[in-house]
Amino acid sequence: MSVPPRIELDGLERAVGRVLRLGIAATTVCLAAGLVLSLLGAGSQGQLLLETGLVLLLATPVARVVVSVVDYAREGDWLFVVLTIVVLLQLAGSVIAALVHRPV
Amino acid sequence: MPPITALLVFIIFAAGVVAGGLGGVLGLGGGVFLVPFLHLALGFPLRSAAAISLATVIATSSTATAGRAGKHLINLRFGMVLEVATVAGGLAGGLTAQLFAESTLERLFGVMAIVVAVVVLSRLNRRNVLHASVDPGRLGGAFYEAESGGMVTYRIKRLPAALAASFLAGNVSSLLGLGGGIIKVPVLNAWCGMPMRAAAATSAFMIGVTATGGAIIYFGRGDLPALAAAPAVLGVRLGSAVGLRWSQRASARWLKMLMAGILVVVGVVMFIRSAR
Repeated sequence: MSVPPRIELDGLERAVGRVLRLGIAATTVCLAAGLVLSLLGAGSQGQLLLETGLVLLLATPVARVVVSVVDYAREGDWLFVVLTIVVLLQLAGSVIAALVHRPV
Repeated sequence: MPPITALLVFIIFAAGVVAGGLGGVLGLGGGVFLVPFLHLALGFPLRSAAAISLATVIATSSTATAGRAGKHLINLRFGMVLEVATVAGGLAGGLTAQLFAESTLERLFGVMAIVVAVVVLSRLNRRNVLHASVDPGRLGGAFYEAESGGMVTYRIKRLPAALAASFLAGNVSSLLGLGGGIIKVPVLNAWCGMPMRAAAATSAFMIGVTATGGAIIYFGRGDLPALAAAPAVLGVRLGSAVGLRWSQRASARWLKMLMAGILVVVGVVMFIRSAR
């Protein structure tokens, strides 16, 4: 590797920070609005916003891993591409398991 | 499931603030306290309590990591290596659930928490910070620390211990509703050469992914009650923001004492849980 690790991580740390900040901000808006609507009695719209907020919450760490895979691939750091893809596959496995076992 | 009243929403919000505070300060998700609180004190079924707790762990992780990004406290490289072990532990979680009764797991966890507390206390005055000129190696790191007034460097020792702790954290995560920071932070600090602040920041970074696998499955099965999870997550947002600000001013020694105190409480809580 010709690039020293510290410089490589700078860009990734910023990218990860951006993804997480965006994800948590969107989650907060949806959950807060959903909670207020639900408490005021607007049940169905409130529930929809709450569910959206939770999906965004769960999607945020997944998005963070995807960003890491892309960044390591761009840097040509293949060991870390493989490591992060392993993590991503397991999260994908959880999504599949959740869909398969979903009660109808 | 208890009926969700405005009062209950407020209580859950307050619990979220405490859990988030722990995450901001020490890199813990707070699940280790939130699950028994939701289950034993508020009467949520264990599955729902674990699911809500995992949702708050994700919120803590995202908030604390976003707040710290750019300060080099988070060791992304080391964290991602350990995430692979965490993931493997999570995959083996179903097997663990079959082999051990939940009460046995809780007792083992309790014993481990007390042992780790003793280790943390015995190393209270030993600092893992090296001079800035030392080569951090492939997995180590360097960051600016206000307490020492300059750049500090650290090297990673005993990688297998860190991998084992991460495997264990992932293994019990979805079963007990934890992110596993309570195992990782003390191990990384006491055995693996990481300064307390870097261990806390790196753990906070990892627990989000650790909790996500289990949380997705609970959510898919309909075990994550949205109306109860929302105030918990919103509380975490507030708590971790406050905790983050405060942790930068606290000394490393104080952080370790707080960690040891929490481990002792966790040990006791686990024994109480196992007796139910």
